Amino acid sequence: METSFAITGKDYVIVASDTTAARSIVKMKEDEDKIKAVSPHLLMAYSGEPGDTIQFSEYIERNLRLFHIRNNYSLTPSAAASWIRRSLAQSLRSRKPYSVNLMLGGYDTTSDTPHLFWIDYLGTLAEVPFGAHGYGSYFALSLLDRYHNPEASLEEGLEILKRCIDEVAKRLVVTPGKYKVKVVDKDGSREIEL
Amino acid sequence: MSRSYDRALTVFSPDGHLFQVEYALEAVRKGTCAVGVRGKDVVVLGVEKKSVLQLQDPRTVRKVAMLDDHICLAFAGLTADGRVLIDKARIECQSHRLTVEDPVTVEYITRHIAGIQQRYTQSGGVRPFGISTLIVGFDPHDTKPHLYMTEPSGIYSAWKANAIGRSSKTVREFLEKNHKDDLSREESIKLAVKSLLEVVQTGAKNIEISVMESYGKITNLDLSQIEAIVSEIEKEKEAEAERKRSRLAATAAGQASMTSRAAAGTQ
Amino acid sequence: MSRRYDSRTTIFSPEGRLYQIEYAMEAISHAGTVLGVLAKDGVVLAAEKKVTGKLLDLSGAKEGGYGGSGEKIFLLNSNVIGGVAGLTADANSLINFARTAAQQHLLQYNEDIPVELLAQRLCDMKQGYTQYGGLRPFGVSLLYAGYDKQYQFQLYHSDPSGNYSGWKATCIGANNGTAQSLLKQEYKDDIEVKAAISLVLKTMSKTMDSTTLGSEKLEFAVITLDPETKLPKAKIYRPDEIDQLLQAEGLAKKEEDGAMKS
Repeated sequence: METSFAITGKDYVIVASDTTAARSIVKMKEDEDKIKAVSPHLLMAYSGEPGDTIQFSEYIERNLRLFHIRNNYSLTPSAAASWIRRSLAQSLRSRKPYSVNLMLGGYDTTSDTPHLFWIDYLGTLAEVPFGAHGYGSYFALSLLDRYHNPEASLEEGLEILKRCIDEVAKRLVVTPGKYKVKVVDKDGSREIEL
Repeated sequence: MSRSYDRALTVFSPDGHLFQVEYALEAVRKGTCAVGVRGKDVVVLGVEKKSVLQLQDPRTVRKVAMLDDHICLAFAGLTADGRVLIDKARIECQSHRLTVEDPVTVEYITRHIAGIQQRYTQSGGVRPFGISTLIVGFDPHDTKPHLYMTEPSGIYSAWKANAIGRSSKTVREFLEKNHKDDLSREESIKLAVKSLLEVVQTGAKNIEISVMESYGKITNLDLSQIEAIVSEIEKEKEAEAERKRSRLAATAAGQASMTSRAAAGTQ
Repeated sequence: MSRRYDSRTTIFSPEGRLYQIEYAMEAISHAGTVLGVLAKDGVVLAAEKKVTGKLLDLSGAKEGGYGGSGEKIFLLNSNVIGGVAGLTADANSLINFARTAAQQHLLQYNEDIPVELLAQRLCDMKQGYTQYGGLRPFGVSLLYAGYDKQYQFQLYHSDPSGNYSGWKATCIGANNGTAQSLLKQEYKDDIEVKAAISLVLKTMSKTMDSTTLGSEKLEFAVITLDPETKLPKAKIYRPDEIDQLLQAEGLAKKEEDGAMKS
C-alpha cells in the first residue's frame, strides 16, 4: 500500500515514496515516480487517487513556476505550503474535490533552513520535523520518534530512513517493494540511491 | 471631419482607417528602440535603455522580459501596457504547459500576444495596447532561432532582423543593408550593437543586450562586454574613415599628377 | 485643437499620447511633497500636509489615527508604509485597495506581501484605468517604503500611468525637481536610518513653501527592523513626536508664534 516518508536533518530534507502504481488489489507497475520537484528547492511526495495526484501536482508546479517567472525568485517553502493547503481546502469544498495527500519538503534559501510540511486531502497543514503518509506511517512514526535527530548528517538521515523502510517491510501485510528517495538542500533537489 | 471616427475603435473612418490603432503606433515610435537579430544558431535582442538615474534601482528598470525558460520579449511604447501584456503572456506560457505538457513554441506565444492586441482594437470601450514587441526564442527540441514582431493592430510577422520604437526606420534600413544570413554569435551581437548605435548616441551605457544561444540558454551581456564591442566598432569605423581619406588623397594625388603630366604633355 | 483628444482617457492623440495621464501627472506636481530615502537599515518617508486651517480638528491624528497620522502617510501592511501625492479621494480608494491586496496575499501565502508585488498590484489596477472603458486615471502617485525577505528594504514609486520603479531616494509632488537634485548631492550609498532622517528633514525644510517646519504641516514615518524579533516595524510619528524630532534636529520654529498663520 502507498507509503511516503520525509525527514528533516541539519540542512536538508529527505523525501521518500514507494513506487507502486496499483488499481484495486492489482499492482500495475513498480517504477512510478511519486515525488515531483515542483520548484528548484521544493519536493512534493503525493499519494491518493491516482488521476487526482497527477492533475493536482502539475497544477501546483505550473503555478509555482509562474510565480518564479513573474518575480524572478521562488516562493519560500512555507508560503508555497500555505498556498497549496489553501488550494486543497478550496477544492474540498467544490463539487469534485481532489483526493491527494502530500509531504512537502523544501529548503528556504532566504533563511538557509530546511522545512517539512505534512498536508492531507482535508486541507490540514502541519510543519513537522518528520512525517509519513499511508499505512507505513503506523510503523515509521514510532521509530522516528525514537531515532530522529534534527542535527543528523545526510548519511545518518538515510540510515534512519532505511530503518523505517525495513520495519515496514517486516510488519506490513501488503508491503511496497521499491522506494524512490530524493533530497533537497541548498543546492536544489536530487535523487539518491539507497 | 474625422471627429466621430477616432473615438470608438470599432468604427472605420470613411477612408478606411482605424485611427486609434495608427495613433497607438505613434506611441510606439516614441518608445525606446529595440532590435532583434537572428543569426545562424543564435538570436540577439538589443534595447536602448534610458539612463538609469543616479538614485534609481537598476533592477527595476529592465526592458527585456523572460516569458518562459526559452522565450524572451522586448517592447517599445508604454511601459505600463508592456508590463500588463507580458503578464498575460507569462500566464499563457504556463497554462499551455499545463494543458498539453509541452512548452509553447515561439510562434504560438507570438500569435497569442498578437491575438490579445487585436482584441483590444475591436472590443468596445478599450484603447489598443500602445506597444510593439519583439519576441525571440527557440522551439522545444529544435535548434533554429526565431524572431517575431507584433504591433498594436495585432499583426505579427517573422523576421531575420528588425527594429521597433524610436527611429526604427533608420535602424531597419541599416539592418537591411548589413544583415547577412547565417551570422555567427559574435557577428550577430555586433550587428545588434552597431544598429543600435545608429540611434543611441551615448554608447554602451544605454544599451542592453540579451543573447539566446539554444533552448533555455540566455545570457545578458554586462556593461564591460558591451563597451568592448562598442569600442571595437568605433575603431573599425575610424579605420574605415582613414582608409577612405587615404584613398581620397591617393586619387586626388593621382589626379594631380595626371593633370600635371597632362600639363607637361601639352608643353 | 487637441481638445478632441483629452476629453476621454482611453484615447490616443494623433501623436500617440495619452493626455489624461499627462494631466493627472501635472495635478500631482502641485500636490503636497512626499519624500522617501532608503537607508541600509530602514526607509524614511516624510510628507507635506496641504490641508491646514485654524478650525481643523486634529485631535484624531494626535493619537496616531487609524494606521496613519492624517492625509498623506498610511500603513499599507505591517511591512509597508505608503505616502501619497495627488487627489486625496482617489488616494483613499487606492490605499483601501492596497490594504486589501496585502491581506489577500497574507491569506493565500501566510506571509507578508513582498513590497514590489504590492506596488505591482496597484500598478496593474492603475494601468487598467488608463485602458478600459470611459474611466479617468487615478490622479495619484505613491511612494512605497517597505521590507521583505527577498530584497530587504526597498523604496518604490508609482505614477498614474501604472509605471513603477525602485529608488534609493526620491520625491513626488510640488518642488520635486529641487528635492531630487538636493538628494542626488547629499545621498550616500551606505547611509543609515539616523542620517537618513536628518537628510529627509533637511531636504523637506528646503523644499517646502513655509519657512518653518512643524507637525501641523508635516507627516513623518520610518520603517526599520525590530532588533529583537527581526521583523519589520513601521512607525508613523505622532504630531508631538514630530515636533520633538524637529527640535532635536534644530529645524523647529522658534516659538509657538501664530502656529497657524494661514
